[in-house]
Amino acid sequence: MRPLTRALTLLIGLAAQPAFADDLFDGGKLLATGGVNQVEGAGGGGLANWALITGYGTRDGIGANLHYTAVILPDYSLQSAGAAVGLFDRLELSYAWKGFDTQDVGAALGLGRGYTFHQNIFGAKLKLVGDAVYDQDSWLPQIAIGLQHKENDRGGVIAAIGGKGSVGTDFYLTASKLFLAQSLLVNGALRETKANQFGILGFGGDKHNAYSTQFEGSAAYLFSRRFVMGAELRTKPSNLGIVHEGAAWDLFAAYFLDKHLSLTAAYADLGNIAIRNDQHGAYLSLQAGL
Amino acid sequence: MKGLAAISISLSLFLTAPLWAQDALFDDMGGQPGINKLVDASVDNYLADPRIKDIFSESNMDRIRAELKDQFCVIAGGPCRYTGHSMEATHKGLHLTNANFNALVEDLQAAMDSCNIPFATQNRFLARLAPMQHQVVTQ
Amino acid sequence: MKKLLLLFMLFPAAAFAADEAHTIVQKGRAFHPGEVNINRGESLTFTNNDDFIHQIYVQATSFAFDSDERNPGQDITETFTTPGTFEVRCHIHPKMRLVVHVK
Repeated sequence: MRPLTRALTLLIGLAAQPAFADDLFDGGKLLATGGVNQVEGAGGGGLANWALITGYGTRDGIGANLHYTAVILPDYSLQSAGAAVGLFDRLELSYAWKGFDTQDVGAALGLGRGYTFHQNIFGAKLKLVGDAVYDQDSWLPQIAIGLQHKENDRGGVIAAIGGKGSVGTDFYLTASKLFLAQSLLVNGALRETKANQFGILGFGGDKHNAYSTQFEGSAAYLFSRRFVMGAELRTKPSNLGIVHEGAAWDLFAAYFLDKHLSLTAAYADLGNIAIRNDQHGAYLSLQAGL
Repeated sequence: MKGLAAISISLSLFLTAPLWAQDALFDDMGGQPGINKLVDASVDNYLADPRIKDIFSESNMDRIRAELKDQFCVIAGGPCRYTGHSMEATHKGLHLTNANFNALVEDLQAAMDSCNIPFATQNRFLARLAPMQHQVVTQ
Repeated sequence: MKKLLLLFMLFPAAAFAADEAHTIVQKGRAFHPGEVNINRGESLTFTNNDDFIHQIYVQATSFAFDSDERNPGQDITETFTTPGTFEVRCHIHPKMRLVVHVK
């Protein structure tokens, strides 16, 4: 048997042992310290990434979760579902599927009513330094770098509206700090991106076709161990000639029932999307995990 | 080169300076009676917690309760002197993990709840305990 | 004369045996050995080879002592001046017991 096959067989055999699985999914992080899942599937808030690694695994274990998100806007709806795993509180891997339904706008654009764009998003995040929870005696935040690789399925339409590509990768640097004495969590990130509408309308455009640096951030107040409320802001590039794209923001509330289930609700303003302005509405997300 | 060293040292001191303000945390936690009640409630929780109770199996619990009452008083800004040993020396042999530490924090939070300490006050106290992870967790 | 010389040679050896310190190792939150026989006037040296701070005490009607705490790597020596059987304990770790039979 080749060495790699032998190693994989051993690993699968070990993972199948109940005691080993219990130790590995140690569920040892404090409630809410894995964040929820942001719109591209990574651990964070709703719009903004955090430097926290998803899941409840401590540095000695792993954590995993599934999420489902629905965003209901005046003229569109967005659905997202995905899975994320946090490894040893160091590396986070995520996958999200996104469906963007153009509803009546699809008809207006000649695409057909309910024309839907789909995205597959593959994410990876690596914690570099700091611990947002324990480092209460230092100004150093927890800092992570990451990427989100996004693939769209409507290449033809994207090209028709001026988009330069249907596949793209965002790169980001994020920092999170929990000011525990003030019950306040603050996050900030810089994102290098070419994405139009988070990538739903492709990457790059006729107006601008290079990476630009965007900012996203959030602040949240801890009302109790289970309940957090906050606000987020995310700037976006405006690469397409046919639409002007601005920043998105939201006001959110997240409720953590226990380490297996959380619910996030937000009022989100995603600004202009394609030919419709003032796209603000309800955001709802459910996360279930080990 | 000297200037660079000076800047690095200043920056590292700035980054590690304590963030605690001198405040009325001791009173907000009910003074020494409040702290004594909290220590007894939290130790009861530790001993009932299957995740961490075995850590205390060889310990003198009366002694630990007394030392915690002193230590919590000092941490909360009260008029006490902690005469025990360093966090590192007392915990080194236990090979504690972050999971152990967090379980203890959860038990302490439950005890603070039962002592009716407001959540915001709990967090002010935990903010002072959290950095002990660096000395207490060795595994 | 030869017999006297032999006696003088043996005497220091005997005196040395009377003051010999027995070593008790503290490791794994236990005393090693767990039981020891010594003569009255002899001493025990407790060596902390553990990862924990220890101290020692005896609380009996005929004999008692209560030491300071000792860090890993430190020693403490205690002389047993009274005959009897005593239990040496540690106030930090109540399960630690050393039985000392003093003749």
